[in-house]
Amino acid sequence: MVLETDPLPLSQWLSGALPTWLFVVGAVAFGWLLLGFLISTLKNGPGKAGDNIFRLLSGAVTDLAHISPRRVYALARLAVKESSRKRVFAGLGVYLVILAFAIWFLDPRTNDPVPLYLSFVLTATTYLILIMSLFLSAFSLPADIKSHTIYTIVTKPVRPSEIVLGRIIGFSVVCTAMLAVMGFFSYVFVVRGLSHTHELALSNLKAVKVTAEPGDGGEELTGFTEAAHGHRHEVVIGPDGTGRTDVAQGHWHEITSSGEGANRRFTIGEPQGQFHARVPTYGKLSFKDRAGQPTTKGINVGNEWTYRSYIDGGTRASATWKFEGLNEADYPDGLPLNMTIRVFRSHKGDIEKTVLGSYILRNPATGRTSEAANFNAKEYAIDEELVPLRLKDANGNPISLFGDLVANGELEVELFCLAPGQYFGMARPDMYLLPHEGSFVANLVKGYVSIWLEMLLITAFGVMWSTFLNGAVAMLATFATLVTGFYVLFLQQLGRDEVVGGGPTEAIFRLAGQTSITVELDETLTTGVIKGIDDVVRIGLRAASNLVPNFSEIAGTTYDPRAFNIPMGDAGFVADGFDIPPELLIQQMIATACFLVPIFLIGFLCLKMREVAQ
Amino acid sequence: MPPEAAIAPQPRPAATDDQVVIETRNLSKIYRDFWGRQKVRALKSLDLQVRRGEIFGLLGPNGSGKTTTIKLLLGLLFPTGGEALIFGKPATEVSKNERIGYLPEESYLYKFLNAEETLDFYGRLFNMPASVRKQRTEALIDRVGLKWAKRRQLKEYSKGMTRRIGLAQALINEPELIVLDEPTSGLDPIGTREMKDLILKLRDEGKTVLMCSHLLADVQDVCDRIAILHQGELKELGRVDSLLKVRDVTEIRTTALSDEAKAEIDAVVRRHNGQVLHVDNPTTTLEELFLSIVRDSEARPGRRANEKP
Repeated sequence: MVLETDPLPLSQWLSGALPTWLFVVGAVAFGWLLLGFLISTLKNGPGKAGDNIFRLLSGAVTDLAHISPRRVYALARLAVKESSRKRVFAGLGVYLVILAFAIWFLDPRTNDPVPLYLSFVLTATTYLILIMSLFLSAFSLPADIKSHTIYTIVTKPVRPSEIVLGRIIGFSVVCTAMLAVMGFFSYVFVVRGLSHTHELALSNLKAVKVTAEPGDGGEELTGFTEAAHGHRHEVVIGPDGTGRTDVAQGHWHEITSSGEGANRRFTIGEPQGQFHARVPTYGKLSFKDRAGQPTTKGINVGNEWTYRSYIDGGTRASATWKFEGLNEADYPDGLPLNMTIRVFRSHKGDIEKTVLGSYILRNPATGRTSEAANFNAKEYAIDEELVPLRLKDANGNPISLFGDLVANGELEVELFCLAPGQYFGMARPDMYLLPHEGSFVANLVKGYVSIWLEMLLITAFGVMWSTFLNGAVAMLATFATLVTGFYVLFLQQLGRDEVVGGGPTEAIFRLAGQTSITVELDETLTTGVIKGIDDVVRIGLRAASNLVPNFSEIAGTTYDPRAFNIPMGDAGFVADGFDIPPELLIQQMIATACFLVPIFLIGFLCLKMREVAQ
Repeated sequence: MPPEAAIAPQPRPAATDDQVVIETRNLSKIYRDFWGRQKVRALKSLDLQVRRGEIFGLLGPNGSGKTTTIKLLLGLLFPTGGEALIFGKPATEVSKNERIGYLPEESYLYKFLNAEETLDFYGRLFNMPASVRKQRTEALIDRVGLKWAKRRQLKEYSKGMTRRIGLAQALINEPELIVLDEPTSGLDPIGTREMKDLILKLRDEGKTVLMCSHLLADVQDVCDRIAILHQGELKELGRVDSLLKVRDVTEIRTTALSDEAKAEIDAVVRRHNGQVLHVDNPTTTLEELFLSIVRDSEARPGRRANEKP
């Protein structure tokens, strides 16, 4: 899990996002009115067209001002009843079947099964609830129009705004209920799926520190449990008969014992510490090259994804993180330092053998450093180090972490790869401090809130499209919106000309000519025209990237933190055990509201302008 | 004074504005395809007025424009030309619906609701408080005779039952104007009689009823005035009793006479001391009138019925 871009503070984000949103909404409204005026002018002449536009707008304002909560509630309630009596909740059965089959192919013996389980349930929930909301919202209104039941609604004092709002709220309530049940099932599935214990027999233990026979009490016992879920633990049992295992597959177990002598029995509890909601403190990353000189980036080892930079082992190349705002009170037991270092091996060697690295701590003000601490890079798991409060400097003299190495809350950690010929790869979020952890359950709820926001948007889009399209076409339009939403980040990059290989027209040209995307095109009239067309297309792409909600997964991506259309997908946070930053969730809620308002208005106006009878 | 003069229709006084409930002025509707090309000219320059407290019938064969007229009056369609006013407001104005009840042709209701839920739902759409909704729901279910089936979902209802609950939903707001599209469609003879009695009762309560029907006998039984449409044009408009008079025939009703008197009735009624009780034009049936207008309209398109060439 990497979050390259820290969310901005709310006020700072709002100051950038809201003007953008207002501009986009204003531009869409102006364009729509202009188009309507032109079409009406062609049909009726400019005078009548202006009158029509005025009547539409004044009527819309009247409609909005007279929205009745009781009528909206009645229509929402009708949508809920319709869903429930048409057995939409049977979709939960589908979800249970998916979970039942998942038990077969989700392997709890993998290195770190928690992210696997969590990402599966979150992904399955997301897709299922989005598909359900898509079908519910896109077909209902067209079905009412087709069956003419809408006649008995619109001949009552019901305004189009109330019909659209009632549908959106009603179907959102249905999907919210389903999402809540799915969330509960997911939690139970993950906890029960990863629940296990191990057998521990007296014969597997041996006494240490004392010479007494195992099992006669008063000695410390060590040994290994039996394997379960593809792993086993090393155990240490104290003289009081209790103990705990080591950490394997991201968890450990409590051990208790009963009985005496040869009848002594050991009980190993449920896995502990496997679910996390880490609240990391990130630093700023800088690099030094193999000569020890500062450089902007490390080495590119040839990965297409250039997110991480690499430092070469056995040289003076290093990566340094500078942390700020450190407070001694936050770290009473030492400095929890977590790393997710990637390893690029230039020779295979023993693949089971970890690659050795080291880090030193440095006072940014005085330059004083700690003694180097070695660690083994775990590659695909989190290296958890605890820097003690008392340690030694480079000369072996005792020093205090906060007294000698932290200056004005700042501390530098410099990391080296010690294995010649091997490389360490890292990005800014690959090392962080962990002052505390949040609640996993609360974080899971936050993850489901982000799915809920996506569901709200799809429901609103489904209703909006269905106000002027028939059911099948509205469903396709909503589906297209959803798919486009997953690629908004890519659209934004295309719009900013940040994609290697140029814009869409250039890409077609390169495909036709079988030209590599990394080769610069010759500057000819043709390529000039192509680039000119792409410049125009980019304007459209930038506009489109603001018109469709961003359903991209935020974890592992870079995004513009000032944009109002920020990524909505938070499942990666939960799956990888990181707390979803509250300010990010609030921003996502505001961004959702920013979309919901114009979607509702467009749907309402489209329904107002159409003839419901055919 | 000749007998015809005695029964000649008296000119109706001009309706004042507050008496006119429905008014169409040059109302026209053209259906177009996706590209804006004209498909059908469904209604041509319709001018009519429906006054407070009358039962007004719209008659016409399929495709004559009567359903289009009702949809335009209810705001379900937008006019291509002219205007439709309900209670003096444009038909597209939502607030007019506060005073309207509408029974569609097929009782387009939500089949997954039961009768109570249906009426409660439509009551909510009129912003009625819960106590009023409950009271009206019970009263209307009782009035349409569905008390025994009020908890059954409408998908289990017969067509007649659906018409009854459809009528109940149209009356939930105690409307001043009731628009009935084929109100007796699907009803058995007893149900038809009850429906017609109910329509008359609504008129007696001071409500205005606009109905369209293919069942001419029903229209003849209940309507005060009718408009006959054909091919989108208004062909006839007036009071039912006036329209049904046959003006070129004289009917004489007498007391019972001897066979001889019957043979020479024209000459000897007075001579045989018989008493002339009534002299008037005999009436035809509405069905006859309707069919003659349709025939006439097809023979002479673009002209009003019975118009001299």
